[in-house]
Amino acid sequence: MSGGAPTTELARRGNAAPPAAREAAPRLPSIRRRLARAMLVGSLLSGLAVAVAVWLAAIEEVEELLDDTLQASAEVMGSLLPRHGEPIVVTAPTKSDERFAWQVVDASQRVVMRSARAPGEPFLPAALAGFADSAQWRVFGVALGDDGRTLYVAQTRAERAEAQFEVAMSSVLAALAVGILAYFWLSALVRHEWGPVQRLSDRLATHEPLITGATLGAAERSELEAVHRSVDQLGQRLTQRVAHERAFTAQAAHALRTPLAGIDAQLAVCLRESPPELQPRLQRVREAATRLQRVVAALLTLFRSDGEPVREAVDLDELLRQFPLERLRVELQATRALHADIDLLAAAMANLLDNAQRHGATRVTVSTPAADTLRLDDDGPGVSPQRRQALQSALDAQAYDDAPGLGLALADLVARAHGGRLQLLVPANGRGFAVELSFHPAA
Amino acid sequence: MRLLLIEDDDILGEGLRDYLRAEGHAVDWFRDLRQADAVRGEPFDAWLLDWQLPDGSGLDWLRARRAKGETTPALMLTARDRLSDRVIGLDGGADDYLIKPFAPEELAARLRAVCRRSAGAADGRVRAGGVWIDIQARGAFRDGQRIELTAREWALLEALALRTGRIVLKGELERLVHGSDAEIASNALEVHISSLRKKLGRDVISTVRGLGYRLDEGGTAA
Repeated sequence: MSGGAPTTELARRGNAAPPAAREAAPRLPSIRRRLARAMLVGSLLSGLAVAVAVWLAAIEEVEELLDDTLQASAEVMGSLLPRHGEPIVVTAPTKSDERFAWQVVDASQRVVMRSARAPGEPFLPAALAGFADSAQWRVFGVALGDDGRTLYVAQTRAERAEAQFEVAMSSVLAALAVGILAYFWLSALVRHEWGPVQRLSDRLATHEPLITGATLGAAERSELEAVHRSVDQLGQRLTQRVAHERAFTAQAAHALRTPLAGIDAQLAVCLRESPPELQPRLQRVREAATRLQRVVAALLTLFRSDGEPVREAVDLDELLRQFPLERLRVELQATRALHADIDLLAAAMANLLDNAQRHGATRVTVSTPAADTLRLDDDGPGVSPQRRQALQSALDAQAYDDAPGLGLALADLVARAHGGRLQLLVPANGRGFAVELSFHPAA
Repeated sequence: MRLLLIEDDDILGEGLRDYLRAEGHAVDWFRDLRQADAVRGEPFDAWLLDWQLPDGSGLDWLRARRAKGETTPALMLTARDRLSDRVIGLDGGADDYLIKPFAPEELAARLRAVCRRSAGAADGRVRAGGVWIDIQARGAFRDGQRIELTAREWALLEALALRTGRIVLKGELERLVHGSDAEIASNALEVHISSLRKKLGRDVISTVRGLGYRLDEGGTAA
């Protein structure tokens, strides 16, 4: 059931994608998801950057503040303490001792006065005015009088670090909270701003540009105005093209159908008037003309932009009686309902049966293995498994130039016009050629 | 039947004319509407007309005829195969719609069906006197046996059967049987009527003196 001239136009006009394209549809990136991810990362990064900056600034400021406090305390205390010869005094513990300690060291590095928490040894190994650090303390020293005594006021380094950490951490948390809030706010904003795009998509789904005057209406956002304009212009171009195509197909239909009717009428008259010995030959010419009529009718329907198949219940017995196949015995084993466009189906079957006959088959079994599915098995020589696979691949890819002739190509297009497919099958008894046409959309 | 065929394609028009003539019909074939208008008022059993013609639309021509109350059965023969076209054609006054290409056998069958319906004989049979006139089978039968008729005799009987109960004027009957361009001998009609009466019986076709003939339904045909 193959052979005949290939047609490039047919290859361009199939309306169903090959299975590979249907199955391997990749998951496309989502603008919303990408925006959400970018916003999340951006918010976190900016929050972190702000947090680091706040952290450093807070540490610095707290350090300065504590130092200023230390210095001020030392200066106040220095002005209040007695100038000469005090005994060693340890003051009573106070609440401020937890963070704060002081001592007075004489010229011989002996601690003469100190707070309860201050160590008995000097904070610093040598007298020093100004700031200095020991292992545990941050110290500010100030000279007391002119006898070599030094007042040290100190804070524990741990206490200072804790203060710095608390200030910095609360600032960082605030910065991060702002970042997270910014993320949720931006997400909600994107969702809200995505609404017009979604509504535009919904409108496009039901948009009928071929209805006169149909437009998308006013845009909801200025950015979408260009899309609305483009779609409306596309609709106008489409309408014009369809109008031209309709005019052309009407002309083409007239130009093709009328001569075919004329040929048939003339042949019918010839058959009546011709001598008996010419009648079989004329009859064959008329059969060929009838097949040509079916092919032309099917092609005109398939190539029309609004050539949707008109499905109806098919009486296969009646349909098969329309094919005068003298050298081919057709056996019908139809058990299930078949709904299809009668004209398209007739054109496909005429081509398949003609192919079978031309390739040496003497018998064809027509069956309905499933609802809206038609199978033809012939007893011809068939094709090798490799050839069958190559033919199927060509049909799947609609590369009708590569292998199948008009018969298979047309049958495939007819099945596709119904949303179905043509499959070449392994013959039931290992011999012959088997083809199955489904007329229902793929699940 | 006398048929008016308006078809601009020579091959198709000639083929249909010859085929329908071979079927025993009188066919007046015109290539455009202007020529067809020249035989306006002539009696026809059916009009066969193309939609797209060189000087206008066959459908508009049909609409105009229908608007004037003309009820001759009409078949559109056209390449316009869209459902919407068929609806427009039938709503525009066509009794049937044939999409080109079509087999002339189908056209002839549809013609018979349309004319049968138009004549009010749903099963295509008219009983007159002792005979059945079967438009579908194109013959007259007595006791189930076909009565041999010449093509001209059948054409005459068919024209009367399609107008059962009506007086058909002599001139109208001549034109229905022979068409407008046929050479008719002055007494040809009487000769054929006489021959028919001999074959069918005297009570099938009655003469309305000074006017024409009438086929009356009824009788006891089996």
